[in-house]
Amino acid sequence: MKTILKLFKKDYTLFFKDKVALGLTFLVPIVLIYIFGKVFGGVGNGDERLQLGFINKSFAPVAKKLERVLDTTKTFSLIKTYKDDKGDIVLYDTNMIKNHIRSGKFSSALIIPEDAYTDTSKSLKLKFFYDPKNQFETQLIDGMLQQTIMQQVPELFQKSMMRRAETDLGKEAGSMFNSEIARTVNKFYKVDTSLILNNNLNTQSDTAVNIGGNNMFNNIIDIEKEQLVGKDVANPMATRSVGGWAMMFLLFTITGSATSLLEEKKSGVMIRILSAPVTSTHILWSKYLFNMSLGMIQLSVMFLFGYLIFNIDIFSNLFNLILIVIAASTACTAFGMLLASLVNTPRQANGWGTLLILMMSAVGGAWFPVSLMPESIQFFSKLTLVYWSVEGFLAVLWRGAGFSDIWQYLVVLFGIAIVINLFSIYKFKRGNVF
Amino acid sequence: MIQINNLTKKYKNITALDNVSLEIKSGEFFGLLGPNGAGKSTMMNLLAGYIESDSGSIKYNDELVSRDTMNIRKKFGLAPQPLALYDDISAETNLKIFGSLYLINNNELKSIIEEKLNSAGLYDRRKDLVKTFSGGMKRRLNLIAALLHSPEVLLCDEPTVGVDPQSRNAIFDYLQKINEEGITVIYTTHYMEEAERLCKKIAIIDFGKIIAQGTKDELLNLLPYKEEIFAGKNEKIKTIYNSLANFGEIIEHDEKYEIKLQGNFKLSDIFKLFEDSGIEYSNIDFHKPTLEELFLNLTGRRLRD
Ligand SMILES: Nc1ncnc2c1ncn2[C@@H]1O[C@H](COP(=O)(O)OP(=O)(O)O)[C@@H](O)[C@H]1O
Ligand SMILES: [Mg+2]
Repeated sequence: MKTILKLFKKDYTLFFKDKVALGLTFLVPIVLIYIFGKVFGGVGNGDERLQLGFINKSFAPVAKKLERVLDTTKTFSLIKTYKDDKGDIVLYDTNMIKNHIRSGKFSSALIIPEDAYTDTSKSLKLKFFYDPKNQFETQLIDGMLQQTIMQQVPELFQKSMMRRAETDLGKEAGSMFNSEIARTVNKFYKVDTSLILNNNLNTQSDTAVNIGGNNMFNNIIDIEKEQLVGKDVANPMATRSVGGWAMMFLLFTITGSATSLLEEKKSGVMIRILSAPVTSTHILWSKYLFNMSLGMIQLSVMFLFGYLIFNIDIFSNLFNLILIVIAASTACTAFGMLLASLVNTPRQANGWGTLLILMMSAVGGAWFPVSLMPESIQFFSKLTLVYWSVEGFLAVLWRGAGFSDIWQYLVVLFGIAIVINLFSIYKFKRGNVF
Repeated sequence: MIQINNLTKKYKNITALDNVSLEIKSGEFFGLLGPNGAGKSTMMNLLAGYIESDSGSIKYNDELVSRDTMNIRKKFGLAPQPLALYDDISAETNLKIFGSLYLINNNELKSIIEEKLNSAGLYDRRKDLVKTFSGGMKRRLNLIAALLHSPEVLLCDEPTVGVDPQSRNAIFDYLQKINEEGITVIYTTHYMEEAERLCKKIAIIDFGKIIAQGTKDELLNLLPYKEEIFAGKNEKIKTIYNSLANFGEIIEHDEKYEIKLQGNFKLSDIFKLFEDSGIEYSNIDFHKPTLEELFLNLTGRRLRD
């Protein structure tokens, strides 16, 4: 044990002597997280359909039409039913759909209420529930929804405007609306009103409707938005991204320090160490300890930074956060050691490491939400330790998840670590590092 | 005493050591001489417990040496052939790290390090990063790093590679000094001059096999000739040709005679013959055989290409 501690201390001595490594470990990720946290805006718009919970309680023709339009667009995939406990397929009600958003089944739902559009309505009333966990996703859904409605149900726009004009300006003025208000609308909102006024509308037209902001839209379609999850999170953007970025940098750090084994081999230091009263088991233990502790320190520093700069709440769920930090560090360490056990030179390790880390980060959701990715990729996401770590951090920081909600992340992460470690120890014992 | 019995080590299809048996007495300065790839480092790494042999055994004072015998390792110190140092930290920190692996307590280690740095002439540079050191300085540091735990046996694997002649002499002096202090030194090299100069006993190794061993004189006695004399051809030499033939075999070259001295006589006899017949010494070259020639004689190859 004493020998292990001496080796462990050695790794820290070397680590702190290397100012560049020190900078790379702490400063670079912090700077990058900061920049990306500020810069990263709307993203996505791939080919994949966005999952949208959907209930239509209204019998108004326009509601029916909206449902049909949403059903047929390539943008959305409407989820109207679920399987209940008995395995029966049941139509959603409002409570159930809320529950499923809260549990993360999908991130938003559109409800068309009974009174969505009555004979006297001046606007279409809709309800939108969302979990801003994946801000990109909800923004995307929100935007696409508005665009789809405006594009595909344009008579709504016209009728609403007419009714509004009748009430506000008097019945006589109503007829003047068509020409007058259209000009105004056209001028300020750059909506091609000639299309709307023209009754030969092709509802499937793919005219791009350019909405100059939400104000105008809100007048016609009255969407009542209700955020179901993470209402109290101070800085949603940063809270969501910190885990992903931290994981990626942690992987780089640990891969670097695990490959120090290969550098020690290459320089001949390994001969010296192993001709002292030291066994390869001592060395492996010390490396594991070093990497895990380094990982925990790095993650802690990053979350602390997130707390100081972005006001991310790391303290109210600290115990569970620590659990995930430990699990993530353990899994990352296993990855780094696996790499060191498989390749022959430090350069190979860096090459493979960079490739694998970037792939795992991209696929595992370190950069943008996995739920935005095509389903075929989502399958691979779940094979990465990045996915389970990032989801774990999200659960803890975003949903305030308790132990009963995060244990499966811990199990998966520790499970990944154990499997990988068994394999890499096997490789070490018969490989060419020692 | 180190007893090596029928030691064999294979790397895939290469037999690095082939049934090697050696005996090295305590306090000896023992040389392992052989060309690159002969198996010298393999032998040292086996002695240090860094690698495991395929068959055969090494015993130190009747205790088995292997990868798992930790307390024997404390009695051996290996200065590996590669410069086994951390380049990016100071000389002193390097020594602290390596010393700590032997669990020497901090205060003691500190004074040992100071003493070793002094003896190797590195004390003034102890705070400098190793990468700023010259080849000779790195070699010396590599050497003292193997001595921090006061081993009984020092294993020096080609400690003069990449070293200038002056540093080389300093290393020789240092090794001779610690040998005189009682440490057994096992020294590998492919320079026969080094082996001849330093080692009381020498084993010559080639393709993993010991092809000869003994003191330098014993080894040179294996040659079918001893000293040689080259004499430029002239009239005077021709007059004593027959007398010269008594001292050994004469080979005639274009410009000179080569006389391979054989038999029992005093060297002064032959020099008297030259003197008496008025032959000038400038016309005569006296040549002592070397281990290089022995190697050539035994293998048909040179030690270095
Ligand atoms: N780790 C290894 N893997 C494969 N072959 C090796 C290894 N180490 C040494 N060898 C081979 O064993 C032979 C002896 O090598 P070595 O002991 O280093 O020779 P020397 O030190 O005398 O130059 C050489 O042919 C070398 O290529
Ligand atoms: Mg060698």
